[in-house]
Parts: sequence; structure tokens; C-alpha cells
Amino acid sequence: MHFFSQIFQYDHPWSHVVIGMWHKYPNSKCTHVISIDTIDRSVDPETGIIRTERVFGCKQKAPVWIVKLFGGSEDAFVREISFVDPATRHVSITSVNLSLSQFATCYEQIHYTPATPNKTNFIQTAEVQARMALWRSAADGLEKWLVQRFEQNAQLGKSGFTDVLRNLWEERHRQPATSS
Amino acid sequence: MSQSLLPECTPLKKEYDACFNSWFEGYLEPAVAAASSQEARAAYSKKKAEEFQAKCGKVWESYKACVQQAVKAKGLDKLLEQAREENPLVDPPPPSTLHK
Repeated sequence: MHFFSQIFQYDHPWSHVVIGMWHKYPNSKCTHVISIDTIDRSVDPETGIIRTERVFGCKQKAPVWIVKLFGGSEDAFVREISFVDPATRHVSITSVNLSLSQFATCYEQIHYTPATPNKTNFIQTAEVQARMALWRSAADGLEKWLVQRFEQNAQLGKSGFTDVLRNLWEERHRQPATSS
Repeated sequence: MSQSLLPECTPLKKEYDACFNSWFEGYLEPAVAAASSQEARAAYSKKKAEEFQAKCGKVWESYKACVQQAVKAKGLDKLLEQAREENPLVDPPPPSTLHK
């Protein structure tokens, strides 16, 4: 497991940051984000909390070995769930990769909270974890297959060499008898 | 504003995003102010939730139908289903996880 985190303050009031977060893309420094779609949204009529589920489409060149090993492509998709709670003035955003998720997960959390009337805290953490259970079962399957192939080949090798030895020596034993 | 997954959904996406943003920008600051009492918060939340539905409900239905097709076409429906099963994230994460 690998971790990443950063803490930062934006020089804008919390409400401006939260209004701005819906306008974050496109921006000239994040050209890898191609598409954003809202796939679900609810406004809680009791608490006023807004929950939004979005899908991001990104294009990012992956190293050749990753593409070859995992069959990935340039297109990567991410699911994002955000909660805006005006009562506690707390925004939390969770993002998890959809692409390559059978191999590894990248779980990112962002929080925006007010620092001062004109500053907003930004806290970002991410955990990247390969799916070890899956790796183990795949490795286990590979080992089993290799053992089976080895057993088969060992059987064939043994019986093949038995034939060779029998033929060789039967012939040699026969030869002196016929030549004399 | 960014594109949609499929170009044919982009006009609906832009219309929906514009509708939401305009509603949200009117919603947020009064919502913070209304949070001082639970009654005021509930009354304001209910009123604004209904307003959002009335303003953006129609374009949302069209956009949602389009984007659901797009999600299927890109083969993301299965991945989304799995992701939702693994992390439903139906409630906000507890504030206790904030300053660990």
C-alpha cells in the first residue's frame, strides 16, 4: 500500500471554493480530464446535504509495461462521490478508479473546510493498493497450471525415454546374434 | 465545461450543469445561514430541494437517460455496479476521519 497526502489553504472563502469546485474542469493544467458526467444527485430535504455521483473520463499515457501487462488503454475512468453539507460547512469528495480496478485501487479523499472567513483548508489523501488476494489467486492458478504441465511432460519424458532405451538395447542385443 | 462521455450527450450535460450551478449558487450561502436552527434548516432544505426538482428535474431526466446509454456503451456499467457494491458511499464519511 502506498499513501499520498497534502494539506493546503486556498485564499478564498469556503462558499467560493465550493461553488468553484463545480467549475474546476476544464483547466489548462489538467488537460487529462476529458469528460465529466453526473450519474446521480440528491438533495436531502431534511439535512440539506447534496450528494453527487460523477464519472470522470481521463486520457493519460501509461507506461508500456503497464499497458502490456494489464491490457489497459489511454482511457481511464474514475467514480467520484461528493457530499456538500452546508450545516457543518464540510465538503468531502471520494474518488475511486473504475479502470484497472481488478488489479489495484486508488482511493482518494478530499475535504474542504473553512479555515478563516477568507481561507479554506484543502486536505487530500490517497491510498493506492494492489489487490493482493487477486494476485495470490492468479499466482496460485499459474503455479497449479505449471505443475500440471510439468507432471504431464515428466510422464511423457519418462515413457518416451523408456521406449528409446528398450529399442536401443533390444536392437543391440539382436545385432550380435544375427551378425555371428 | 467539460464534455460528456459521448458527444451526443454533451448539449444535455451542459444544460443540466448550468441549471444545477445556477440553483446551487443561490442555495449555498442561505443554507449555511439557515443551519443555525434545525427547524430553519429543514424548512429551507425542503423548499430548495423542491425548487431544484422543479427547475432542473426535466433536463436531468433527459440527460440521465443519455448518460446511462453512454455508460453502457463504454462498458462502465459493470464496473460501476462493482464499485457501488464495494463502496456504497451513501452517507457522508464521519468527520472523525478528517484530522487523523
